Amino acid sequence: MDGIHDLGGREGFGPVEVSADYEGFHADWEERVFAIVRTMGRPSDWSLDWFRHCRELIDPVDYLTRPYYDQWLQTYAAMLVNSGLLSIEEIAQQKAGGPSPTAFAPPLTLEQIPANVRAAQTFDGDAGQAPQFAVGDRVQTSAHGIPGHTRLPAYIRGVAGTVTHYRGDHVMPDDNSAGTKRAEALYTVGFAARDIWPDAEGANDRVQVDLWESYLEPA
Amino acid sequence: MSAHDSDAVAAIHRELHSHLPPEPALRLKALESLLAEKGIVDTAVIDAWVEVYADSVGPKRGAALVARAWTDTEFKTRLLEDGTAALTEFGFEGQGGGHLKVLENTPEVHHLVVCTLCSCYPITVLGIPPAWYKEAAYRARAVREPRTVLREFGVELDADVAVQVWDSTSELRYMVLPERPAGTDEFSEEQLANLVTRNSMIGTDRTLGAS
Repeated sequence: MDGIHDLGGREGFGPVEVSADYEGFHADWEERVFAIVRTMGRPSDWSLDWFRHCRELIDPVDYLTRPYYDQWLQTYAAMLVNSGLLSIEEIAQQKAGGPSPTAFAPPLTLEQIPANVRAAQTFDGDAGQAPQFAVGDRVQTSAHGIPGHTRLPAYIRGVAGTVTHYRGDHVMPDDNSAGTKRAEALYTVGFAARDIWPDAEGANDRVQVDLWESYLEPA
Repeated sequence: MSAHDSDAVAAIHRELHSHLPPEPALRLKALESLLAEKGIVDTAVIDAWVEVYADSVGPKRGAALVARAWTDTEFKTRLLEDGTAALTEFGFEGQGGGHLKVLENTPEVHHLVVCTLCSCYPITVLGIPPAWYKEAAYRARAVREPRTVLREFGVELDADVAVQVWDSTSELRYMVLPERPAGTDEFSEEQLANLVTRNSMIGTDRTLGAS
Protein backbone atom coordinates (compact mmCIF):
# COMPACT_ATOMS: atom_id res chain seq x y z
CA MET A 1 0.00 0.00 0.00
CA ASP A 2 1.12 3.54 -0.65
CA GLY A 3 1.22 4.32 3.05
CA ILE A 4 3.05 6.93 5.08
CA HIS A 5 5.31 4.15 6.46
CA ASP A 6 7.05 3.80 3.09
CA LEU A 7 9.54 6.51 3.93
CA GLY A 8 12.64 5.74 1.85
CA GLY A 9 13.69 8.82 -0.14
CA ARG A 10 10.98 11.17 1.16
CA GLU A 11 12.22 14.70 1.64
CA GLY A 12 11.63 17.44 4.18
CA PHE A 13 12.43 15.66 7.44
CA GLY A 14 15.44 17.67 8.57
CA PRO A 15 18.50 16.39 10.45
CA VAL A 16 18.65 13.01 12.15
CA GLU A 17 18.39 13.40 15.90
CA VAL A 18 21.79 11.85 16.51
CA SER A 19 21.74 12.75 20.21
CA ALA A 20 18.77 10.39 20.80
CA ASP A 21 21.43 7.78 21.25
CA TYR A 22 20.78 6.08 24.59
CA GLU A 23 21.18 2.33 24.97
CA GLY A 24 18.06 0.28 25.55
CA PHE A 25 14.65 1.64 26.39
CA HIS A 26 13.93 5.29 27.07
CA ALA A 27 11.16 4.66 29.60
CA ASP A 28 9.82 1.78 31.68
CA TRP A 29 6.54 1.77 29.76
CA GLU A 30 8.43 1.14 26.49
CA GLU A 31 10.20 -1.90 27.93
CA ARG A 32 6.88 -3.16 29.25
CA VAL A 33 5.19 -2.87 25.85
CA PHE A 34 8.08 -4.85 24.37
CA ALA A 35 7.72 -7.54 27.07
CA ILE A 36 3.95 -7.74 26.62
CA VAL A 37 4.39 -8.29 22.90
CA ARG A 38 6.90 -11.07 23.51
CA THR A 39 4.83 -12.86 26.15
CA MET A 40 1.15 -12.27 25.36
CA GLY A 41 -1.38 -14.87 24.25
CA ARG A 42 -2.36 -14.66 20.59
CA PRO A 43 -4.54 -16.24 17.91
CA SER A 44 -2.85 -18.76 15.64
CA ASP A 45 -3.43 -16.69 12.49
CA TRP A 46 -1.26 -13.74 13.59
CA SER A 47 2.15 -13.26 11.98
CA LEU A 48 4.97 -10.73 11.94
CA ASP A 49 3.77 -9.55 8.54
CA TRP A 50 0.20 -9.11 9.75
CA PHE A 51 1.55 -7.03 12.66
CA ARG A 52 3.58 -4.89 10.28
CA HIS A 53 0.58 -4.34 8.05
CA CYS A 54 -1.61 -3.39 11.01
CA ARG A 55 1.01 -0.84 12.09
CA GLU A 56 1.00 0.58 8.55
CA LEU A 57 -2.76 1.07 8.90
CA ILE A 58 -2.41 3.53 11.80
CA ASP A 59 -3.71 6.97 10.86
CA PRO A 60 -0.84 8.71 8.97
CA VAL A 61 -0.70 11.67 11.36
CA ASP A 62 -0.41 9.30 14.33
CA TYR A 63 2.18 7.22 12.49
CA LEU A 64 4.51 10.18 12.21
CA THR A 65 3.89 11.73 15.61
CA ARG A 66 3.17 9.06 18.19
CA PRO A 67 6.05 7.40 20.07
CA TYR A 68 7.30 4.18 18.51
CA TYR A 69 6.29 1.70 21.22
CA ASP A 70 3.00 3.54 21.66
CA GLN A 71 2.30 2.58 18.05
CA TRP A 72 3.07 -1.04 18.90
CA LEU A 73 0.58 -0.91 21.75
CA GLN A 74 -2.08 0.66 19.56
CA THR A 75 -1.40 -1.93 16.84
CA TYR A 76 -1.74 -4.92 19.15
CA ALA A 77 -4.91 -3.45 20.66
CA ALA A 78 -6.37 -3.12 17.15
CA MET A 79 -5.30 -6.67 16.26
CA LEU A 80 -6.96 -8.03 19.42
CA VAL A 81 -10.18 -6.19 18.63
CA ASN A 82 -10.09 -7.37 15.02
CA SER A 83 -9.60 -10.96 16.19
CA GLY A 84 -12.50 -10.69 18.62
CA LEU A 85 -10.39 -11.14 21.77
CA LEU A 86 -11.15 -7.65 23.05
CA SER A 87 -13.89 -5.14 22.30
CA ILE A 88 -13.87 -1.38 21.85
CA GLU A 89 -16.46 -1.21 24.66
CA GLU A 90 -14.13 -3.03 27.05
CA ILE A 91 -11.36 -0.61 26.21
CA ALA A 92 -13.65 2.40 26.57
CA GLN A 93 -14.88 1.21 29.97
CA GLN A 94 -11.52 -0.26 31.01
CA LYS A 95 -13.32 -3.30 32.27
CA ALA A 96 -13.63 -6.84 30.94
CA GLY A 97 -17.13 -7.76 29.90
CA GLY A 98 -18.18 -11.36 29.39
CA PRO A 99 -16.02 -14.46 29.74
CA SER A 100 -12.31 -14.59 28.94
CA PRO A 101 -11.59 -15.69 25.38
CA THR A 102 -10.32 -19.24 24.92
CA ALA A 103 -9.59 -19.58 21.21
CA PHE A 104 -5.98 -18.45 21.29
CA ALA A 105 -2.53 -19.61 22.36
CA PRO A 106 -2.17 -18.69 26.06
CA PRO A 107 0.49 -16.26 27.29
CA LEU A 108 4.02 -17.49 27.95
CA THR A 109 4.66 -19.20 31.29
CA LEU A 110 7.56 -18.39 33.64
CA GLU A 111 9.26 -21.65 32.64
CA GLN A 112 9.17 -20.68 28.95
CA ILE A 113 10.98 -17.33 29.42
CA PRO A 114 14.64 -18.44 28.99
CA ALA A 115 13.84 -20.28 25.74
CA ASN A 116 11.75 -17.35 24.50
CA VAL A 117 14.57 -14.84 25.07
CA ARG A 118 16.92 -17.04 23.03
CA ALA A 119 14.41 -17.87 20.30
CA ALA A 120 15.20 -16.68 16.79
CA GLN A 121 12.44 -16.95 14.24
CA THR A 122 13.56 -18.18 10.86
CA PHE A 123 11.71 -17.56 7.65
CA ASP A 124 13.15 -20.12 5.26
CA GLY A 125 10.74 -22.07 3.15
CA ASP A 126 10.60 -24.04 -0.06
CA ALA A 127 9.32 -22.27 -3.15
CA GLY A 128 8.92 -25.62 -4.88
CA GLN A 129 10.83 -24.39 -7.93
CA ALA A 130 14.32 -23.23 -8.85
CA PRO A 131 15.08 -19.51 -8.56
CA GLN A 132 14.34 -17.64 -11.78
CA PHE A 133 17.30 -15.25 -11.46
CA ALA A 134 21.02 -15.73 -10.86
CA VAL A 135 23.64 -13.49 -9.29
CA GLY A 136 24.68 -10.92 -11.90
CA ASP A 137 21.31 -10.84 -13.68
CA ARG A 138 19.81 -7.47 -14.47
CA VAL A 139 16.29 -7.15 -13.05
CA GLN A 140 13.64 -4.49 -12.87
CA THR A 141 11.11 -3.96 -10.13
CA SER A 142 7.40 -3.65 -10.73
CA ALA A 143 6.49 -0.09 -11.71
CA HIS A 144 3.18 -0.15 -9.88
CA GLY A 145 2.25 0.02 -6.25
CA ILE A 146 1.11 -3.22 -4.61
CA PRO A 147 -2.15 -3.15 -2.62
CA GLY A 148 -2.03 -4.32 0.99
CA HIS A 149 1.22 -5.20 2.74
CA THR A 150 4.39 -5.38 0.66
CA ARG A 151 8.13 -5.12 1.20
CA LEU A 152 8.80 -3.51 -2.17
CA PRO A 153 9.64 0.08 -1.22
CA ALA A 154 8.21 2.80 -3.48
CA TYR A 155 11.57 4.50 -4.08
CA ILE A 156 12.82 1.63 -6.27
CA ARG A 157 9.64 1.02 -8.25
CA GLY A 158 10.37 0.60 -11.93
CA VAL A 159 14.13 0.85 -11.37
CA ALA A 160 16.65 -1.64 -12.80
CA GLY A 161 19.36 -3.20 -10.66
CA THR A 162 21.65 -6.23 -10.47
CA VAL A 163 21.10 -9.36 -8.40
CA THR A 164 24.00 -9.52 -5.93
CA HIS A 165 22.80 -12.46 -3.79
CA TYR A 166 20.29 -15.28 -3.88
CA ARG A 167 19.26 -15.78 -0.23
CA GLY A 168 17.30 -19.01 -0.53
CA ASP A 169 13.51 -19.22 -0.42
CA HIS A 170 11.80 -17.13 2.27
CA VAL A 171 8.21 -16.71 3.44
CA MET A 172 6.56 -14.19 1.11
CA PRO A 173 5.43 -11.22 3.25
CA ASP A 174 2.62 -9.87 1.03
CA ASP A 175 0.78 -13.20 1.19
CA ASN A 176 1.78 -14.01 4.76
CA SER A 177 0.26 -10.74 5.99
CA ALA A 178 -3.05 -11.89 4.53
CA GLY A 179 -2.86 -15.32 6.16
CA THR A 180 -1.27 -17.41 3.39
CA LYS A 181 2.15 -18.79 4.22
CA ARG A 182 4.18 -19.71 1.14
CA ALA A 183 7.81 -19.22 0.20
CA GLU A 184 9.42 -17.50 -2.76
CA ALA A 185 13.01 -16.94 -3.88
CA LEU A 186 14.57 -13.99 -2.06
CA TYR A 187 17.34 -11.94 -3.63
CA THR A 188 19.42 -8.96 -2.64
CA VAL A 189 19.43 -6.51 -5.53
CA GLY A 190 21.98 -3.70 -5.86
CA PHE A 191 20.77 -0.42 -7.36
CA ALA A 192 23.13 2.35 -8.45
CA ALA A 193 22.18 5.36 -6.32
CA ARG A 194 22.11 7.56 -9.45
CA ASP A 195 19.71 5.16 -11.20
CA ILE A 196 17.24 5.96 -8.42
CA TRP A 197 18.16 9.60 -7.80
CA PRO A 198 20.24 11.15 -10.62
CA ASP A 199 21.51 13.86 -8.27
CA ALA A 200 22.88 11.37 -5.70
CA GLU A 201 26.18 12.60 -4.30
CA GLY A 202 28.36 9.49 -4.64
CA ALA A 203 29.03 8.32 -8.21
CA ASN A 204 29.63 4.73 -7.07
CA ASP A 205 27.18 4.57 -4.19
CA ARG A 206 24.62 1.78 -4.15
CA VAL A 207 21.46 0.82 -2.36
CA GLN A 208 21.03 -2.89 -1.61
CA VAL A 209 17.47 -4.12 -1.14
CA ASP A 210 16.13 -7.60 -0.34
CA LEU A 211 13.38 -8.44 -2.85
CA TRP A 212 11.15 -11.44 -3.48
CA GLU A 213 11.01 -12.96 -6.94
CA SER A 214 7.48 -11.80 -7.81
CA TYR A 215 8.58 -8.16 -7.33
CA LEU A 216 11.04 -8.61 -10.19
CA GLU A 217 11.12 -9.12 -13.93
CA PRO A 218 14.08 -9.45 -16.29
CA ALA A 219 15.47 -6.02 -17.26
CA MET B 1 -15.32 -10.54 7.83
CA SER B 2 -11.89 -11.85 6.88
CA ALA B 3 -9.41 -12.23 9.71
CA HIS B 4 -6.95 -10.11 7.75
CA ASP B 5 -9.12 -7.21 6.61
CA SER B 6 -7.14 -3.98 6.13
CA ASP B 7 -10.17 -1.67 6.08
CA ALA B 8 -11.54 -3.19 9.28
CA VAL B 9 -8.24 -2.67 11.12
CA ALA B 10 -7.90 0.91 9.85
CA ALA B 11 -11.40 1.62 11.19
CA ILE B 12 -10.51 0.06 14.57
CA HIS B 13 -7.40 2.26 14.76
CA ARG B 14 -9.54 5.37 14.25
CA GLU B 15 -11.98 4.27 16.93
CA LEU B 16 -9.32 3.28 19.45
CA HIS B 17 -7.83 6.71 19.19
CA SER B 18 -10.69 8.30 21.09
CA HIS B 19 -11.04 5.56 23.72
CA LEU B 20 -7.50 5.27 25.05
CA PRO B 21 -5.92 7.66 27.59
CA PRO B 22 -3.70 10.30 25.94
CA GLU B 23 -0.43 9.49 27.75
CA PRO B 24 1.43 6.37 26.50
CA ALA B 25 2.28 5.20 30.03
CA LEU B 26 -1.38 5.45 31.03
CA ARG B 27 -2.53 3.79 27.82
CA LEU B 28 -0.23 0.89 28.62
CA LYS B 29 -1.52 0.64 32.17
CA ALA B 30 -5.16 0.64 31.06
CA LEU B 31 -4.58 -2.01 28.39
CA GLU B 32 -2.32 -4.21 30.50
CA SER B 33 -4.83 -4.48 33.34
CA LEU B 34 -7.64 -5.23 30.90
CA LEU B 35 -5.58 -7.89 29.11
CA ALA B 36 -4.55 -9.44 32.43
CA GLU B 37 -8.20 -9.59 33.49
CA LYS B 38 -8.98 -11.43 30.26
CA GLY B 39 -6.08 -13.88 30.59
CA ILE B 40 -4.30 -12.59 27.49
CA VAL B 41 -1.24 -11.40 29.44
CA ASP B 42 0.28 -12.60 32.72
CA THR B 43 1.68 -9.71 34.77
CA ALA B 44 4.17 -11.90 36.68
CA VAL B 45 5.53 -13.25 33.40
CA ILE B 46 5.94 -9.72 32.00
CA ASP B 47 7.88 -8.70 35.14
CA ALA B 48 10.13 -11.75 34.93
CA TRP B 49 10.70 -11.40 31.19
CA VAL B 50 11.88 -7.78 31.63
CA GLU B 51 14.38 -8.91 34.29
CA VAL B 52 15.88 -11.65 32.13
CA TYR B 53 15.95 -9.59 28.96
CA ALA B 54 17.58 -6.47 30.42
CA ASP B 55 20.65 -8.50 31.44
CA SER B 56 21.16 -10.39 28.21
CA VAL B 57 21.00 -8.58 24.87
CA GLY B 58 22.96 -5.46 23.95
CA PRO B 59 25.70 -4.12 21.65
CA LYS B 60 28.43 -5.69 23.79
CA ARG B 61 27.55 -8.91 22.02
CA GLY B 62 28.12 -7.42 18.59
CA ALA B 63 31.39 -5.88 19.83
CA ALA B 64 32.55 -9.32 21.01
CA LEU B 65 31.91 -10.77 17.54
CA VAL B 66 33.83 -7.88 15.92
CA ALA B 67 36.82 -8.21 18.27
CA ARG B 68 36.99 -11.97 17.65
CA ALA B 69 36.84 -11.39 13.88
CA TRP B 70 39.73 -8.90 14.16
CA THR B 71 41.92 -11.41 16.00
CA ASP B 72 40.90 -14.73 14.44
CA THR B 73 40.79 -14.84 10.64
CA GLU B 74 39.06 -18.22 10.56
CA PHE B 75 36.29 -16.89 12.76
CA LYS B 76 36.05 -13.80 10.55
CA THR B 77 35.56 -16.03 7.51
CA ARG B 78 32.81 -17.93 9.32
CA LEU B 79 31.17 -14.69 10.50
CA LEU B 80 31.06 -13.30 6.96
CA GLU B 81 29.85 -16.58 5.46
CA ASP B 82 27.19 -17.45 8.02
CA GLY B 83 26.56 -14.84 10.69
CA THR B 84 23.89 -16.95 12.37
CA ALA B 85 26.24 -19.92 12.84
CA ALA B 86 28.98 -17.58 14.14
CA LEU B 87 26.77 -15.92 16.76
CA THR B 88 25.69 -19.37 17.91
CA GLU B 89 29.33 -20.11 18.80
CA PHE B 90 29.00 -17.28 21.35
CA GLY B 91 25.56 -18.34 22.61
CA PHE B 92 24.06 -15.10 21.27
CA GLU B 93 20.94 -16.67 19.77
CA GLY B 94 17.84 -14.49 19.94
CA GLN B 95 15.51 -12.11 18.18
CA GLY B 96 16.75 -11.07 14.75
CA GLY B 97 19.56 -13.65 14.84
CA GLY B 98 17.91 -16.20 12.56
CA HIS B 99 19.40 -14.80 9.35
CA LEU B 100 22.35 -12.55 10.32
CA LYS B 101 24.42 -11.11 7.46
CA VAL B 102 27.69 -9.34 8.32
CA LEU B 103 29.04 -6.63 5.99
CA GLU B 104 32.77 -5.91 6.05
CA ASN B 105 33.92 -2.31 5.78
CA THR B 106 37.13 -1.80 3.78
CA PRO B 107 39.19 1.29 2.86
CA GLU B 108 37.14 1.38 -0.38
CA VAL B 109 33.63 0.59 0.85
CA HIS B 110 31.48 1.84 3.72
CA HIS B 111 28.28 0.00 4.66
CA LEU B 112 25.24 1.63 6.23
CA VAL B 113 22.14 -0.22 7.50
CA VAL B 114 18.57 1.12 7.56
CA CYS B 115 15.01 -0.18 7.51
CA THR B 116 12.96 2.27 5.45
CA LEU B 117 9.65 0.40 5.87
CA CYS B 118 9.68 -0.21 9.64
CA SER B 119 12.53 -0.80 12.10
CA CYS B 120 14.22 -4.17 11.40
CA TYR B 121 17.40 -4.50 13.45
CA PRO B 122 19.60 -7.38 14.68
CA ILE B 123 18.43 -7.00 18.27
CA THR B 124 20.15 -10.08 19.63
CA VAL B 125 23.61 -8.70 18.79
CA LEU B 126 23.05 -4.91 18.90
CA GLY B 127 20.31 -4.58 21.55
CA ILE B 128 17.29 -2.32 21.29
CA PRO B 129 17.74 0.14 18.39
CA PRO B 130 18.47 3.78 19.19
CA ALA B 131 15.53 6.20 18.77
CA TRP B 132 16.93 7.81 15.62
CA TYR B 133 17.08 4.42 13.85
CA LYS B 134 13.29 4.09 14.16
CA GLU B 135 12.41 7.68 13.31
CA ALA B 136 11.30 9.13 9.99
CA ALA B 137 14.32 11.35 9.28
CA TYR B 138 16.82 8.48 9.29
CA ARG B 139 14.51 6.04 7.50
CA ALA B 140 13.70 8.58 4.76
CA ARG B 141 17.19 10.02 4.25
CA ALA B 142 19.69 7.18 4.78
CA VAL B 143 18.95 5.69 1.34
CA ARG B 144 18.78 8.97 -0.57
CA GLU B 145 21.52 11.09 0.98
CA PRO B 146 23.69 8.75 3.04
CA ARG B 147 26.73 11.00 2.94
CA THR B 148 24.80 13.94 4.37
CA VAL B 149 23.35 11.70 7.08
CA LEU B 150 26.83 10.37 7.86
CA ARG B 151 28.14 13.94 8.23
CA GLU B 152 25.43 14.53 10.84
CA PHE B 153 26.99 11.62 12.74
CA GLY B 154 30.45 13.18 12.32
CA VAL B 155 31.56 10.76 9.58
CA GLU B 156 33.17 12.48 6.57
CA LEU B 157 33.88 10.07 3.72
CA ASP B 158 36.34 10.67 0.91
CA ALA B 159 34.67 10.80 -2.51
CA ASP B 160 36.49 7.60 -3.55
CA VAL B 161 34.95 5.56 -0.72
CA ALA B 162 31.77 3.96 -2.08
CA VAL B 163 28.73 3.84 0.18
CA GLN B 164 26.52 0.76 0.17
CA VAL B 165 23.22 1.31 1.98
CA TRP B 166 21.41 -1.90 3.00
CA ASP B 167 17.63 -1.53 3.31
CA SER B 168 16.40 -4.31 5.61
CA THR B 169 13.23 -5.18 3.72
CA SER B 170 13.32 -8.95 4.45
CA GLU B 171 14.02 -11.08 7.54
CA LEU B 172 17.74 -10.89 6.85
CA ARG B 173 19.39 -8.75 9.52
CA TYR B 174 22.50 -6.75 8.72
CA MET B 175 25.43 -5.84 10.95
CA VAL B 176 28.57 -3.97 9.87
CA LEU B 177 32.05 -5.29 10.65
CA PRO B 178 34.05 -2.07 11.07
CA GLU B 179 37.76 -1.83 10.21
CA ARG B 180 40.23 -2.56 13.00
CA PRO B 181 41.84 0.70 14.16
CA ALA B 182 45.56 1.21 13.55
CA GLY B 183 47.89 0.95 16.53
CA THR B 184 46.00 -1.90 18.20
CA ASP B 185 48.36 -4.78 17.43
CA GLU B 186 49.09 -5.35 21.11
CA PHE B 187 45.48 -5.05 22.25
CA SER B 188 43.71 -7.97 23.86
CA GLU B 189 40.37 -9.14 22.45
CA GLU B 190 38.64 -7.48 25.40
CA GLN B 191 40.43 -4.16 24.82
CA LEU B 192 39.50 -4.34 21.16
CA ALA B 193 35.84 -5.00 21.99
CA ASN B 194 35.81 -1.85 24.10
CA LEU B 195 36.73 0.21 21.02
CA VAL B 196 33.71 -1.00 19.03
CA THR B 197 30.78 1.42 19.11
CA ARG B 198 27.18 0.42 18.54
CA ASN B 199 26.96 2.96 15.71
CA SER B 200 30.01 1.45 13.96
CA MET B 201 28.03 -1.80 13.65
CA ILE B 202 25.07 0.09 12.08
CA GLY B 203 27.43 2.11 9.88
CA THR B 204 26.85 5.57 11.36
CA ASP B 205 30.39 5.52 12.79
CA ARG B 206 33.50 4.52 10.81
CA THR B 207 36.92 5.35 12.21
CA LEU B 208 37.25 3.80 15.64
CA GLY B 209 39.74 5.24 18.11
CA ALA B 210 42.67 3.30 19.55
CA SER B 211 42.70 5.34 22.72
